[in-house]
Amino acid sequence: MTTERIDEVVQRAEQLFRDLEFRSVRKWKDETGGLAVGYMPIYIPTELLHAQGVLAVGILGGGDELEIIRGDAYYQSYICHIPRSTIELGLNGALDCLDGMLFPAICDVIRNLSGMWKMQFPDKLVRYLDVPQDFDPEIGGRFWRFELEELARELTARGARPYDAEALRESITLHNRNRAIVRELYALRQREPWKVPTHELYLIQRAGLVIPPEEFEQVLVEYRDAVRADQVRTPKDQARVLLTGSFCEQPPFGLIKTLERSGCYIVDDDFVQVHRWIVRDVETTGDPLQNLVMAFLEDSIESPTRYIAERAKGQDLVDRVAASGAEGVLFCAPSFCDPALLDQPMAVAAIEKAGIPWTAFKYAENNGQFQVIREQAGTFSDSIKLWSGEVAV
Amino acid sequence: MSQDVPRTLKTAGVDVGSSSVKVALMVDTEGERAQLVSGQSERIGRRDPIQVAEGLYQDCLQEAGWTREDVSYVATTGEGDMLEWHTGHFYGMTTHARGGLYLDPEARAIVDIGALHTRAVVMDESAKVLGYRMTSQCASGSGQFLENICRYLGITIDEIGPLSLQSDDPERCSSVCAVLAETDVINMVSRGISAPNIIRGIHQSMSGRYLRLLASAKARGVVLVTGGLSRDVGIMRSLQESADEQKTPIQLRSHPQSVLAGALGAALWGAFRVRKLATQGVSLSLKTAV
Repeated sequence: MTTERIDEVVQRAEQLFRDLEFRSVRKWKDETGGLAVGYMPIYIPTELLHAQGVLAVGILGGGDELEIIRGDAYYQSYICHIPRSTIELGLNGALDCLDGMLFPAICDVIRNLSGMWKMQFPDKLVRYLDVPQDFDPEIGGRFWRFELEELARELTARGARPYDAEALRESITLHNRNRAIVRELYALRQREPWKVPTHELYLIQRAGLVIPPEEFEQVLVEYRDAVRADQVRTPKDQARVLLTGSFCEQPPFGLIKTLERSGCYIVDDDFVQVHRWIVRDVETTGDPLQNLVMAFLEDSIESPTRYIAERAKGQDLVDRVAASGAEGVLFCAPSFCDPALLDQPMAVAAIEKAGIPWTAFKYAENNGQFQVIREQAGTFSDSIKLWSGEVAV
Repeated sequence: MSQDVPRTLKTAGVDVGSSSVKVALMVDTEGERAQLVSGQSERIGRRDPIQVAEGLYQDCLQEAGWTREDVSYVATTGEGDMLEWHTGHFYGMTTHARGGLYLDPEARAIVDIGALHTRAVVMDESAKVLGYRMTSQCASGSGQFLENICRYLGITIDEIGPLSLQSDDPERCSSVCAVLAETDVINMVSRGISAPNIIRGIHQSMSGRYLRLLASAKARGVVLVTGGLSRDVGIMRSLQESADEQKTPIQLRSHPQSVLAGALGAALWGAFRVRKLATQGVSLSLKTAV
């Protein structure tokens, strides 16, 4: 009987997730006097920032509780929602606690947002973090290392501790532990999805974006131990689905809960990818910065934002469906998300060829009505449960 | 690897609608027609739907002489996914299609007239949904709208059908908007139009909407009316007359247990899932013994 333990840790995570004033970041700064630097989805090497005493703060938009007043003036109606809410957060002062913002290469919109940030916040560190699309260590590797060294120097110039290899090694070790627990939770959810509801796992991962990795480790351990020990939750007869397309602008929290309520067990997803971008432990011996570089080149997940040279687009999705035991795929992408929606036809072709059922819908992070999606996901779940494999009645 | 499943299963269907809860307990024996052991419906009123469902489920178990442990699968539909004790949840169109086919094996479409929505579902002979259409946000095709009209006329919902049959000169009513239709009704009352003629006019207006819904879903053949309004003899008469006038290729039918269609369908799908999971060797800790 440990549901109370689970509720406790999940409630704490939800408070962090819903806090658009970033009080945890302000508190950390008051206590440590350190720098806090925000970053957009989907990946930055948080180990490097942590090793320099910087709190890396994941900014995944404003969600469904932020009223957009000025943000809409910056973007046309055919642009996704995350840049509007992010700039709204910047302009309304919610991000004043940040000493800088990093904009990893995702798409043109995020590149554009980095330019706006430079103009709006000229006193802050603003860096568009260009990631290599050539994975040859001598080409992309050298480029990425240079980018990271530049970033380290810029952070130091802003008051962060200078780069120190030993500190980075320790940080990598800590991040490896956190990634391992996240992987463990994903594996547990695949085996027993009723024990690790996706909306809870999502909140836990979101909490990890605004607290130091040491504290995140505690949250992860507490949650993992609580769900492992839980004897109360029992399985329901739900369809196992893989959700894809939500790697940048996140779906409203209510949408995730709606999908679960509609009869779907989400057994794999691409939410909050920063904790899972590197798929295995980063090497801790040798040059730690080079290890980070090599991890990015060789151990990153496949993503629409990343060039794929050898395999066909969509094959990774087919493999993930097989590995997770999913019975179908939900293409759940933000409206106007170029990386997700341009890849979708290729992904659909691949899974159709493999005979995997799918359905698709779009969202914006501030959607509040889910009835149509609920019906769609629910009937998709019904069709899997009743009609896949054999004829009913 | 398949698991052994008893030939006879006891399953439950719980349909939580916006105005009432319906529960069906069924005995499903492989190769035979499933039997309804207990079926009840209860209005929610201003109570908590979860508590109403809980109470009604207990009543049905008592009527059947079953315990909770006897039930292999509790299948919910409608808003029943709120019930923590459900085994699996199915969507309204899936369950009404299955329930409709159970009640009338010749049915190839259903029109489910609920309190908030109406939907037309076309299915094949195995209850597989082939297409559906649903009313939009507008309430003028729903049971809730009819309940509002009853309030204006000072009658109960049970009186509305028989009164409709007494009509001799139906008064035409707005068929587009519930708000306008309600205004129409208030005007009719002040103009001294009799209740039967007002109600019949409304029934005709609603029937037109349902027939358009069925036509857009490409319904053919026998159509079973399900949902709360299936008990309304006035709407049934009006529907059939309109269908005949328009030479629509459908034959409308109702069934005394049409209101339970969703719950029946859920219970039947529950039994189906127990067997299907067993053939797949999937364990959900579902109780499979009678």
